[in-house]
Amino acid sequence: MGASFSEKLLAALNAFFEGVVRFLPGLLAALLILAIGTVIGWLVKVAVRRTLAVARFDHFCDSSGVSQVLNKADIRATPSSLMGSLFFWLVFASFLMAGLSALEVEVIKRLISEFFLYLPRILAALAILLVGFLLANFVSRAALLASVNANMPSPRLISGVVKFLIAILAFAMALEQLEIAKSIVIAAFIISFGAVMLGLAIAFGLGGRDVAKKVLERQIKDLDQPKERDGFSHI
Amino acid sequence: MDEALLPAPLPERLSEIGPVDILVGIPSFNNARTIGHVVRAIQAGFAKYFPNERTLLLNSDGGSTDDTQEVVRTTTLSDYGTILAAHPVHGVHRIVTPYHGIPGKGSALRTVFAVAKAAGAKACAVVDADLRSITPEWLDLLISPVFRQGFDFVAPLYRRHKYDGTITNSIVYPLTRTLFGKRVRQPIGGDFGFSGRLASHFLEHDVWHSDVARFGIDIWMTSTAITSGYQVCQSFLGAKIHDVKDPGVDLSKMLTQVVSSVFSLMESHEQLWKGVSETQTVPLFGFEHTVGLEAIRVDVGRMVGIFRSGARDLSAIWERILTPETFSLVQNLTGTDDGRFRFPARLWVQVVYDFAAAYHHPTMNRDHLLRSLTPLYLGRTASFVNETADADAGQVEDVIEGLCREYESMKPYLVERWDG
Repeated sequence: MGASFSEKLLAALNAFFEGVVRFLPGLLAALLILAIGTVIGWLVKVAVRRTLAVARFDHFCDSSGVSQVLNKADIRATPSSLMGSLFFWLVFASFLMAGLSALEVEVIKRLISEFFLYLPRILAALAILLVGFLLANFVSRAALLASVNANMPSPRLISGVVKFLIAILAFAMALEQLEIAKSIVIAAFIISFGAVMLGLAIAFGLGGRDVAKKVLERQIKDLDQPKERDGFSHI
Repeated sequence: MDEALLPAPLPERLSEIGPVDILVGIPSFNNARTIGHVVRAIQAGFAKYFPNERTLLLNSDGGSTDDTQEVVRTTTLSDYGTILAAHPVHGVHRIVTPYHGIPGKGSALRTVFAVAKAAGAKACAVVDADLRSITPEWLDLLISPVFRQGFDFVAPLYRRHKYDGTITNSIVYPLTRTLFGKRVRQPIGGDFGFSGRLASHFLEHDVWHSDVARFGIDIWMTSTAITSGYQVCQSFLGAKIHDVKDPGVDLSKMLTQVVSSVFSLMESHEQLWKGVSETQTVPLFGFEHTVGLEAIRVDVGRMVGIFRSGARDLSAIWERILTPETFSLVQNLTGTDDGRFRFPARLWVQVVYDFAAAYHHPTMNRDHLLRSLTPLYLGRTASFVNETADADAGQVEDVIEGLCREYESMKPYLVERWDG
């Protein structure tokens, strides 16, 4: 009985130590991969920051309104630093996955392969959000300028509606790309878009009937009269 | 290079005609209604003022879909007696040709320059195809200073209503005068005279795929002539009346095009204009006279309204363009009544210089930047109308001269902002 217990204990310890010995190289390899990933990530970060500095990326972000949004969100880092950090974490995450796969654990391996399959969708969604944000800023500013210069009522409201619609569209497209509740996202987008339009129609038609009348009267008057109201030539 | 600029039948036609002394070009696009009058005036001008010279009339057309080209081919001046002129010795050669390149007046004139070079023309002129007030005398006034006096570039000087040409009066004239040191009153007049050698010089520049080819050719020709050291003068042409412009063309777009042309030239001639410290008058030809100041409709309230809307809704944009001091002074203007509204000349110059600096160091899309100038320009125009309500033409010129002096005295501010 005593021999049997000690044998079993030894066997269990042996199995544990064998497991540790089998696992240890994988763990060391994972740690090494992680260390290499950290160094490469850091190098990529520096390279990205320097390249973006040469390409005047911060200047572009200033002119496109990205910097202003970052400031509003109390993010003090420059856009090129942020991009450098983003690339660092992307490289680091990739090496982390590679390191974890070196551990030869079946569940982790499956999760990693799913992560790498999903990664392009995440990047595509981020790109859609970025382009959508830039487009929303650009078009809403163009709408604001055109409305002011054409002496239209409520230029900021027009600009805000344009920005909101483009942002909603970009957000829905990004979620659709991530395959998150696809049908719900499309339905939500259609409902939101329809609600905005219906809301505007009701607000304009009922709440602002007099304003609507004035605007339409002015538009019709504009059609009857030359656009250049003043009797002189500006140029 | 010039061969490629001349479409297929053109070189042969030029060979048939041989060298010419004088060339007049008419850029056109769908001007059938008015171009006949312009062609007759040019024929009469050739007969009356240059009867012994070999002359060529060139229509550089942008693919008109009306009868513009046919009108140019068939219009003739049969009764020379009415203008007290004899038939020209050599006859008037005429060529109608499409131009190549980006659609725009600049591309049309590039073809005129290429023909002038190929035909060895000594003196040239270009006139708009929509002119209703052109007379044979215009040819004498645009070409004689070049052909007989040795000048290289003749800018037009029109007599206009005191409120006409406000973009020229409040931005283009004072700014180009301050930058380049020559007091050319109508730098974007549209009708010019120039020598054959200046035409060849124009062709040497690589600007024909830029906005110069589309809409900035007038100011580019004037500034290139000045900055390249050619002899520049002006000729008084009298009133300029042209066909009614397309009412759909909006002011903001027009202002953006004109101002971007000037600001682009500031970038390409930076070293030159920074070294100019004083301005000089240029010789003037022609007999000056005044025109009537009939009452015209001016909606000051609407202009001030757009300015106020800009101050309210575009403040976030203006804050990124104007200095804090300029921005604050502009915002302080919004409280005044329409009738007493004033936009001080000094503040206006500060605004223009801030916009020039912002264009040079863009903090946003350049088109947006310049479009945000429209409410400020309308504010300044409303102020000008209020200021000169009872002024005659001479007094209005004094006000414009005062504005030019402000531009000149504040040039160090421009340099500081430009370099900042």
